[in-house]
Amino acid sequence: MAGTRTHCPYCSLQCGMTLERVGRTLEVQPWPEFPVNEGALCRKGWTATGLRGHRERLTTPLVRDRATGTLRAAGWDEALDLVADRIEAVQAAHGRDAVAVFGGGGLTNEKAYQLGKLARVALGTSQVDYNGRWCMSSAASAGNQAFGVDRGLPFPLADVELADVVVLVGSNLAETMPPAARHLDRLRERGGRVVVVDPRRTPTADRADLFLQPVPGTDLPLAMGVLHLLVAAGAVDEEYVAARTTGFDAVRRSAAAWWPELVERVSGVPADQVRELAALLADAERVMVLTARGAEQHSQGTATVLAWLNVALALGMPGKVGAGYGCLTGQGNGQGGREHGQKADQLPGYRMIDDPAARAHVARVWGVDPDRLPGAGRSAYELLDTLGTDDGARALLVLGSNIVVSAPNATHVTERLAALDLLVVADIVMSETAALADVVLPVTQWAEETGTMTNLEGRVVLRERAVAPPEGVRSDLEVMAGLAERLGSPVPFATDPAEVFAELGRASAGGRADYAGISHERIRAEHGVFWPCPDADHPGTPRLFADSFATPDGRARFVAVDHVGAAEQPDAAYPLHLTTGRVLAQYQSGAQTRRVRDLPDDGPFVELHPMLAERIGARDGEPVVVTTRRGEMKAPARVVATIRPDTVFVPFHWVGANRLTNDALDPSSRMPEFKACAAAVRA
Amino acid sequence: MRAGRAVERVVVVGAGMAAVRLGEGLAAGGAHDVTLLGDEPHAPYNRILLSAVLEGTHDPAALAMPLPDGVDLRLGTRVVEVHRDEREVELADRSRVPYDALVLATGSIPTLPPIRGLVRVDGRLHEKVHAFRSLADCRRLDAAVSGARRAVVVGGGLLGLQVARALSVRGLDVEVVEGGEHLLRSQVDAQAGRIIARDLTRLGATVYAGTRAVRLTDAGLVLDTGVTLDTDLVVLTAGGRPSTALARRAGLEVRRGVVVDDLLRTSDPRILAIGDCAQHRGRTTGFVPPAWEQARLAAAHLAGEPVAYTGTRSVARLRATGLDVAVLGDPTTTQGEVVEVTNPVVGSHRRLVVREGRIVAGVLVGDLSRIGLITQHYDRGTVLGPTEPGRLLMPDAVTAATPVVLPDDAEVCACAGVSAGRVRACSSLADVATSTRATTGCGGCASAVRDLLAARPLEGTPR
Repeated sequence: MAGTRTHCPYCSLQCGMTLERVGRTLEVQPWPEFPVNEGALCRKGWTATGLRGHRERLTTPLVRDRATGTLRAAGWDEALDLVADRIEAVQAAHGRDAVAVFGGGGLTNEKAYQLGKLARVALGTSQVDYNGRWCMSSAASAGNQAFGVDRGLPFPLADVELADVVVLVGSNLAETMPPAARHLDRLRERGGRVVVVDPRRTPTADRADLFLQPVPGTDLPLAMGVLHLLVAAGAVDEEYVAARTTGFDAVRRSAAAWWPELVERVSGVPADQVRELAALLADAERVMVLTARGAEQHSQGTATVLAWLNVALALGMPGKVGAGYGCLTGQGNGQGGREHGQKADQLPGYRMIDDPAARAHVARVWGVDPDRLPGAGRSAYELLDTLGTDDGARALLVLGSNIVVSAPNATHVTERLAALDLLVVADIVMSETAALADVVLPVTQWAEETGTMTNLEGRVVLRERAVAPPEGVRSDLEVMAGLAERLGSPVPFATDPAEVFAELGRASAGGRADYAGISHERIRAEHGVFWPCPDADHPGTPRLFADSFATPDGRARFVAVDHVGAAEQPDAAYPLHLTTGRVLAQYQSGAQTRRVRDLPDDGPFVELHPMLAERIGARDGEPVVVTTRRGEMKAPARVVATIRPDTVFVPFHWVGANRLTNDALDPSSRMPEFKACAAAVRA
Repeated sequence: MRAGRAVERVVVVGAGMAAVRLGEGLAAGGAHDVTLLGDEPHAPYNRILLSAVLEGTHDPAALAMPLPDGVDLRLGTRVVEVHRDEREVELADRSRVPYDALVLATGSIPTLPPIRGLVRVDGRLHEKVHAFRSLADCRRLDAAVSGARRAVVVGGGLLGLQVARALSVRGLDVEVVEGGEHLLRSQVDAQAGRIIARDLTRLGATVYAGTRAVRLTDAGLVLDTGVTLDTDLVVLTAGGRPSTALARRAGLEVRRGVVVDDLLRTSDPRILAIGDCAQHRGRTTGFVPPAWEQARLAAAHLAGEPVAYTGTRSVARLRATGLDVAVLGDPTTTQGEVVEVTNPVVGSHRRLVVREGRIVAGVLVGDLSRIGLITQHYDRGTVLGPTEPGRLLMPDAVTAATPVVLPDDAEVCACAGVSAGRVRACSSLADVATSTRATTGCGGCASAVRDLLAARPLEGTPR
């Protein structure tokens, strides 16, 4: 039997896999022809069906009983009527923007699109944003500034194998997206070199030819130091810079102020290692710079990415095959989720909501008056930060996000959720956020529904339905249609994914992320289609920038940036750097993976260096307490020599890590500073 | 000038490292009309890089510093007088520039050591003699290198060693003459100085320490030991002194440098001084980080947000190929407990001065592998545990080699969570992949799995 070709429910690689029914079970099998992973999967993928039939699966709507304060089972009509009535009451009393919508980077394109439409058309609120803001938004902002477009990788992932040097800044892909590491290994077999920049010597760093270990929050000065040395050595591709870019002069001057010894002082990376990296890049024909959350989740995340982009541009790499700059997006649909209108300032097709032409186009597709569309709303953290205040929303609808675990400064955010008049959460299990809700709506999950995702390469792939959902659940699209109808939406909301995708295609037509020529059928036939793909005859666009960039004049922009550093620096009371990240066997807030029996859930831990452990009297495996100005958590110490001795690391899949993190925001991407704050640790 | 009132016209005397940083800070604030008066003809450049240019490792065309937007930069403009009553500065061409606030960032000027014959009768340097402070000095010396075979560097401080290495790298026979008992005498003790001298010698230069040059003659540079060093070039790097003539003429309080208070004000509160020319709490510095810190605070001060300057922790780093030296603070005079590891055999010397658990000074020579961590602890005042300073100076303990035989419960494949025992239970690589999923993720364990399978006892062999 053939099985169903689909993609993994987790990260942005969207590894291809085949689902086969064997008796009553659903088994994961390889799909070797899909080029991103060629049949490889990590244990999260192999065990992806583990949530099917799980005893904790929600199968009936739940409504909080006023008398007892507990959740009780309710019918769908009762639950949706209640939600619609209370939304209308809140909006009548406090205005349209008093209702907010919060989406996720794991939602399919169809859902993300529909959620934006729900907000703008059915709810009439400007307050819609999503957790992708906490994922790759800094790289998105930088890509838009430099290239005029934001596609995580402007080339297929397998192009990594064609590079001579790949520089990974703040990426631990060997643990977070293991099959991607195969491309690195092939590159090295070919004689290529891998450079890893990370405060921790990760399994990815173990594969590197050169490993640099900066203080958290100092990737920017490191990039400046590299550029300084490239300029000093005359290694700038002046012809490329002259022909294909603007703005280099100011950047060249700014790099003059970052000589290697100064970089060493600020970043903690010995000057000789900065020189070694620059020499490696200066001599290479094809250099690929890839950033991930380690570089991006900072109050200077956008500037940090721009600094590395400047390095790639100075070397003349973007647009060359097997070279350039890319961002390794994190969430499953981190890419597509940011393109179709669940972002506060955007409309489908990566259009800006303040652009009259964009509003007119999208309103025409939706069949509404463009003047009725609200303007830009608040970014994710700002939206949450103001919940329940005079100025903020009083009702919140959450799809595909577990805010209580994943938001920075989580204690504060949880208080804001508690201050709401109405919290509605659609989820598959009782997540920490659903547990706070007034109404919980049980929805279909991966493999029970069809929908598209856009992976880290900008390749639109199709997740196919393989099994019937359990009795009692509805798809997110059905939930949205039910709400829209009850709220008196002027236009209907489709529930068939292929139909919604076709509408998305029309709405995106002519935009930066143009999906107009893509259909579910084409994706099935072609192993995915790369956007932009403006019409059905267009082959899609695996590689961008060969001839020009997406800026008005077709040139890439150098953007001069300056180092400010993490918003919160260590001091006497909080003398250490705290950084956060993922572990191999878990994913994001863990709502799914922590419930999969075959994935080990060892709980959170605090990684620290033996020198620090000895200083505070901590022992491996015994509990330590980490405190910051915002909160405290206790977890076993994991004493390892692979981390900087002035830094501690906590994984964020469990409640706790984000009680510690800082909510300082990047001025342009509005990314919170998850990756660096000041902390104290005691045994 | 009162705190809280934004100043309109700020005139900065100087266009060097401190002045440019101040100009940037003021321009970013946007509240001022800023004029930089630089006496050099070149656009502002990074002086730190001149020795790298001489060495040939830095493109001389890539020295330009960021030019702050909206700043009136006047080059080749020498200020001859400050008329404090009129609040004007007078330029060499007798024109005047009015100011509401004036900032002196005049830097330092090279000291001429007492060597007879350095200066010709017409007041110019002897043709073989070079200073090394400005871009013009660098270009002149650079031009002279091609026709030269031998060079003597006078001064064994940081700059002297950088210049000596640069000239060695350029292929010259280099001799260093240091009047003190050892190299880097302002920064390090005799033991460290000797190790550096040995390194320098190993790299091909000759070091004369405890020796003064007394006279330059046609035969060469004559030392007080009577030796005459035949040479084509004499480079003077024996330090500099704050450039204070303008301040002195204006009647400001001047000791070694222009005296400033914690808000960087001179004795005239309308006039600030920053960088090498300033003397704060009895100290002058010759480094960029304090100059930039002062520039930042001066900009804040002029924007009506005064912040007290309390000094800057200094880290002096020798920038010279093959010579690895870092000096934290003042390790020769700072009081504290000393933790020291010296291995003259391999040419390494590491010394930390620790007080109440904090690194307050230090020297690293030869082995700078931990520099990035030590300077972080030093800069941030981290309170270390009792064993830490020692561990910081020791190489990483060699981690125990992986045991040859992995125990059955050892994890081999992290992607799939597979132990050595489960791999051993499989019949082949294909069996491992299908029944355990090991090797099917990142692929990193493939060789370990192959080894495990190969090392299994043959079928039928009793275990």
